[in-house]
Amino acid sequence: MGKLKNYLIRTVSAIVLTTVVLSSELETVIFADAPYETYSYDWWGEDIKQPAAYTYSGAYSLTDTPLNDARDMFVQDGKIYIADTGNSRIVILNEDGTVFKIITSFQNGGTEDTFSGPQGLFVTPENEIYVADSKNGRIIHLDASGTLIREIARPETDLISQNQAYTPLKLVVDKSGRIYVIANGINMGLVEFDREGVFQGFMGAAKVSVSTFEYIWKNYFSTDAQKERMELIVPTEYSNIYLDSDNFIYATISNISNEDHLAGADAIRRLNPTGTDILRRLGNTPIIGDLYNASDTAAWSKFTDVCACDYGVYFVLDSAGGKVFTYDGDGNSLFIFGGTGNRQGMLMQPASIGIREDQEKIYILDSQLNQVLCFSITEYGRHLLNAIYKNSLGDSAGAYEEWQNVLRYNANSEFAYIGIGKAYLREGRYKEAMEYFQLGNNRKYYTRAFQFYRKELMQNYFGKFMGVILVLVGALIIWQIVKKIRRWVGEAKCNI
Amino acid sequence: MQYLNSLKYSLYVITHPVDGFWDLKREKRGSLSAAATILVLVILTSIIKKQNTSFLFNFNRLDELNVVVDIVTVFLVYILWCVANWCLTSLMDGEGKMTDIMIATAYALVPIVLINLPLVPVSHVITAEEGTFYTVFTVISYLWAGMLLIFGTMVTHQYSMKKTILTMICTVVGMAIILFIGLLFFSVIQRIITFIATIYQELRFRT
Repeated sequence: MGKLKNYLIRTVSAIVLTTVVLSSELETVIFADAPYETYSYDWWGEDIKQPAAYTYSGAYSLTDTPLNDARDMFVQDGKIYIADTGNSRIVILNEDGTVFKIITSFQNGGTEDTFSGPQGLFVTPENEIYVADSKNGRIIHLDASGTLIREIARPETDLISQNQAYTPLKLVVDKSGRIYVIANGINMGLVEFDREGVFQGFMGAAKVSVSTFEYIWKNYFSTDAQKERMELIVPTEYSNIYLDSDNFIYATISNISNEDHLAGADAIRRLNPTGTDILRRLGNTPIIGDLYNASDTAAWSKFTDVCACDYGVYFVLDSAGGKVFTYDGDGNSLFIFGGTGNRQGMLMQPASIGIREDQEKIYILDSQLNQVLCFSITEYGRHLLNAIYKNSLGDSAGAYEEWQNVLRYNANSEFAYIGIGKAYLREGRYKEAMEYFQLGNNRKYYTRAFQFYRKELMQNYFGKFMGVILVLVGALIIWQIVKKIRRWVGEAKCNI
Repeated sequence: MQYLNSLKYSLYVITHPVDGFWDLKREKRGSLSAAATILVLVILTSIIKKQNTSFLFNFNRLDELNVVVDIVTVFLVYILWCVANWCLTSLMDGEGKMTDIMIATAYALVPIVLINLPLVPVSHVITAEEGTFYTVFTVISYLWAGMLLIFGTMVTHQYSMKKTILTMICTVVGMAIILFIGLLFFSVIQRIITFIATIYQELRFRT
């Protein structure tokens, strides 16, 4: 009895010990407890949870004079430039959150000049700062040290009537020095200046679409009094713009009606220098943020800002839900994270988003919290973005490896399955490629793999298959001939 | 033997609709057991098609497939059609009896089985570019069945073409009305049961 008990105790303790040793040996993947969920939409349009791609890692705020209703931010070369709208100043932070410089005034023609409610800013690769000095109705061009280079005043044109206020809100400056400005109340598109600051025209106006029903209703069945009370059908204004490394402009639209949202209207555009929208929309879902609403009265995603990586992945900030929507260059939803609330790492009224050049950190400016929130990339996010990056370079072997890593974290990732399938397709492993494309729900590549697979089968087995059939048919024919001859011989015999 | 013959006769009906449906009724060439067999085959076809069609042409969520729902759907639509059609045609001087309608309707569904069943293995050897053939044949099967249903109704009830089309549209409306009344009935019964149960409970608590 005692022996058995001893034996039992020993086995149990051995099992416990091995479990402890094993579990400590296992690779420990620790995710900081994020106050929000990370998810994306799959092929069926269902939201599928996934591991966090970015986690909250701290917030920067100014101690002496806090930010006040800051509206825009720009991240470049380890510096965070903030348009501190409420305090009418430009704040430049270092990457660790310490103040690098604060610009409150500048010398303009010998006198001291100040900003007035600047709502947007842009920094050129040479670190020159362009500020949309909103209430003063002008654009200020400063050099890297904060001294004035020039002032770009209200555009001189008949296209904007004299009694209409000119309030520049956001701006970008492209590589050749052209300046594009979003101005309040101007719905003809972006205001374009040439490198000398001379008004050139409007660019990239949103197309107006009126449904047939609405057109007939407005023109034939409404009284004048009704018409007056109806909303005018005008092009939508852009809410923010971002210049990517290829000199294309990402523009977000935030005031999209409920009906347009349900119809899948575009909420973001990528404009080329002629103003044509060239955003690729090849994903499974429309690029409108969240596909479903929690309730009928809940607000739809409202895009306020966007930033992009040089390999086509872009991050869109949604001010209604406090979320960041990530899409790849084809318009596939990669991951969605963030939320509104009072917990640490949640947002109140996000205004602007910026990303470090190496994608290690995302900064979000919140104009109610008066903070810059930092989100650091996780192992999973790094593998995912790396896979897309390597794929964009054409490095299929590297991408394959990264997709395998992504799958270790997230077995629901359709991109990973498709990515691995593509690698197999290139290697000529068609049957496996088909399996992976099916897991990734991609019929376009599945049929391609299947075509090759069918061809391969035909090449291998067609000869044997046809050989067997020919032999059978030949035997049948010979049998018939033999039968005929026999009958003929029999008849001949009878006739004799 | 009678059963096999009547089943085999369905192949004649689908190729010679007017003649075929006439003999189906007047010469008693069809049978209810054959009609039931065809209906079971239609149900089987719809299930096999959903489950076994190749990934390229299959847009059903296989993890959410419910065979019972498929069976009930096909069966319910068939019964509803027959009942609504019978109700209407007995008011509109139709000559067909209930059994005639049930047999004619089932025989009209044969092309759906004959075309869709072979399409399932075919879907595994064609690519998406060749998928046009797949779609065309699927559409043909439904158009053919629809055409047979029109001729079936026309011949069974001795109607003109105009009256047939009108009857068929009314039948669909009738199906909706029956469905509505059925749901209403269930809802009312449910309330009555709850009402009685509550009264019983109340009485139990008082004593």
